[in-house]
Amino acid sequence: MADDKSTAESLRSTRTYGQVRCMNPSCEARITPAPGQTKATCPKCGSEWRIFWIKAGFPRVKGPVWETSQRLANERLAQMAAAPAAKPAPAAKAEKKEGK
Amino acid sequence: MALDRKIAIVNLTTGQIDIKPITLEMRKQFLGGRGMAAYLLYKNSKPGCDPLSPDNAVIFSAGILSGMPASATSRTDVMTKNPLTGLLGSGNFGGFFAAELHYAGFENICVVGKASKPVYLFVNDGEVKIMDAKNLWGKSVTEAQWAVREELGDRDVMCAVSGPAGEKLVRYANTMTGIKNANGRGGGGCTMGSKNLKMVAARGTMDIKIAHPREALEFDKRFIEQITSAKVNQTMGTLGTPFIWGATNSWGGIRTNNFQYNQLLYCDEIEPENIDEWSKESMGSEYNMAACFGCQVHCRAKYKIPDTPLARKWGLVGKYDEGPEYTSQGAFCGEPGCTHLDTLLMGNHLVDQYGVDNLEIGSLISWAMELYEAGILTSKDTDGLDLRFGNDDAVIAMIHHVCKRDTWLGNVLAEGGIRASETIGKDSFKYLIHMKGMSNLHSDERATPALALNLALASRGSDHLRSRPAIDLYHLPVDVMRRIYSSPVPYEGPLSSDHTEYIGKPWQVVWHENCYMAVDCLGICKYHTTFLGATLPNFEDWAKVLYFNTGLEMSPKDIWDVSERANMVERLFNLREGMKKDDPYKGEVLAERYFEEPCRRGAPDVIGKKIDREKFVEMRGLFYKYKGLDENGVPTAESLKKYGLENLDKEPSRV
Ligand code: SF4
Ligand SMILES: [Zn+2]
Repeated sequence: MADDKSTAESLRSTRTYGQVRCMNPSCEARITPAPGQTKATCPKCGSEWRIFWIKAGFPRVKGPVWETSQRLANERLAQMAAAPAAKPAPAAKAEKKEGK
Repeated sequence: MALDRKIAIVNLTTGQIDIKPITLEMRKQFLGGRGMAAYLLYKNSKPGCDPLSPDNAVIFSAGILSGMPASATSRTDVMTKNPLTGLLGSGNFGGFFAAELHYAGFENICVVGKASKPVYLFVNDGEVKIMDAKNLWGKSVTEAQWAVREELGDRDVMCAVSGPAGEKLVRYANTMTGIKNANGRGGGGCTMGSKNLKMVAARGTMDIKIAHPREALEFDKRFIEQITSAKVNQTMGTLGTPFIWGATNSWGGIRTNNFQYNQLLYCDEIEPENIDEWSKESMGSEYNMAACFGCQVHCRAKYKIPDTPLARKWGLVGKYDEGPEYTSQGAFCGEPGCTHLDTLLMGNHLVDQYGVDNLEIGSLISWAMELYEAGILTSKDTDGLDLRFGNDDAVIAMIHHVCKRDTWLGNVLAEGGIRASETIGKDSFKYLIHMKGMSNLHSDERATPALALNLALASRGSDHLRSRPAIDLYHLPVDVMRRIYSSPVPYEGPLSSDHTEYIGKPWQVVWHENCYMAVDCLGICKYHTTFLGATLPNFEDWAKVLYFNTGLEMSPKDIWDVSERANMVERLFNLREGMKKDDPYKGEVLAERYFEEPCRRGAPDVIGKKIDREKFVEMRGLFYKYKGLDENGVPTAESLKKYGLENLDKEPSRV
């Protein structure tokens, strides 16, 4: 049986270290946080993320900086409200429920 | 050698046990694990039977590589006609049961009939015995396993067990093994309960002969290094699967408040890093992550429940458990809108001990919460429980009520969403987020059409483990995607590296469906394949690992064909049991809210996304075409012939 590299093995060289991807799905730009940095802003779309270090040189996105993500989300919702065709279903009833 | 492992067909009504070999022909057609289970279920369950009747079968099926030194050959499939959906019920757990079953000389245990009193099966060195389970009945998942070990005087007995929820015939009760390994989403624990079967206990000392030991060790080393070096698995080895939930919630791909929202805000307490911190603190300085048989990833955390007012109220302070997995984060926090760590850890502990599906129970509780807030359920229906979103105490109370069936609502929800909606009435069904009668997992696929398509088409109903082309989310360059998706069969159609697109997704769903069927037949964990990481092994690597370990010479394309065949048997089973393409109860459709209500939270580009109905139908049609199905999703005569399934109904069992 031949022992050449499989597709998965040869793709290994494409792995990137020391970077995270912006978690805004249509952006996904790569961000390189400085060692130990706990927050990083996406240079492309402005989303801001909290960073956790799995180990030295291996960051991951822990979650959004909630205030920034809420601001960006509200801006987007406002934009959509201004363009009625793309307006989401009314959220008022449900918004109130989340009082926690 | 490994390939001499056997099948036992046990009739609990008559007490008859037939032990049969697995022929080489069967191996080449179905390999083992889920493939063999699908065939055995098709042939041993009575068409159209009530899933809770003796005519249903429950199959315990270890992967062909179980117990061998490849990576994480730990998986067992448990398959039955699902008491929840009336269609295919199949779940897959890790732990140590599969290896022990192989050491005991067996690969498949097929159980039909019904015992007149509680029993368990003891599978030991080539023999299967039906044993009295009166001392095990009523015991929790963990207690029952320790009790049988005590009874048999052997601490190394491994069990596939039904918990108290299975005994109470909760329709989504799991078969469990170990502390928390769950054969979820299949209803196997409920079918076991209906047969008075508490567990299958396995213990063996029979050698497994490795076909080419030196080559196997050499290749396995390389195989394992490929798996453990992946970033995704290094993350899993640190934070466990909660990292998946954390990542998905970061961008807004989680369903919260029964699909009203798609992100749980300010939930830092249940983020993976915080769970990890608590695990270390509660377990002390000796802390380590646990693993299943032969796995080097070690994704399973351990914890004790913290001392909080809620934990004190429920008498759970200091209880030990493992996980929680990302599914519990969704079930007990995202879905019901709770953000507290103690709720997550208690919910996880309770479902593990009752032996019930966390996704299903969490989804149904959050559905009931929306019905309560909408006035469709009242406090009279809830026995006074204030079932609003974010009420942590109510979530814990409802888990008990469902698993014990001790209140009106608990009993109704134990029957599953479709039956419950018939009982509750009004427009409760409208709020039920399900596919083929199975509640959705806790993610929101409105911004990811490929994932939405896979949910609708999954053979066991809404499901993230039957296809799930999640590497889509990495925006891989198209040429990299083409290398992955053109092997082992050529694909020259379109591909798009944008996960919000509809282009090329049907093929990705087909490819991943076959990929996951193959690992389920081999008995390898999905985290060791192209599930979350593009650089993890798939068909090409499996052909080698299979050959070196078992001597079975199959090309990557042969393994692909096994997957196609086994997936087709699952489809034939569903069609036989009433699946119809557009049926809102048993069809291959999405819940209406996917099409009607856009996402309202998360990263800017997720907001406003919903699934385009026409494009969805188009994708489904292409999927059918790629699979050799007609426009109704029924296999054509030609494809049945291609896979040797044209006489499946009429021919005697090949076993
Ligand atoms: S990755 Fe996790 S679930 Fe899979 S075999 Fe390893 S420990 Fe078990
Ligand atoms: Zn960005």
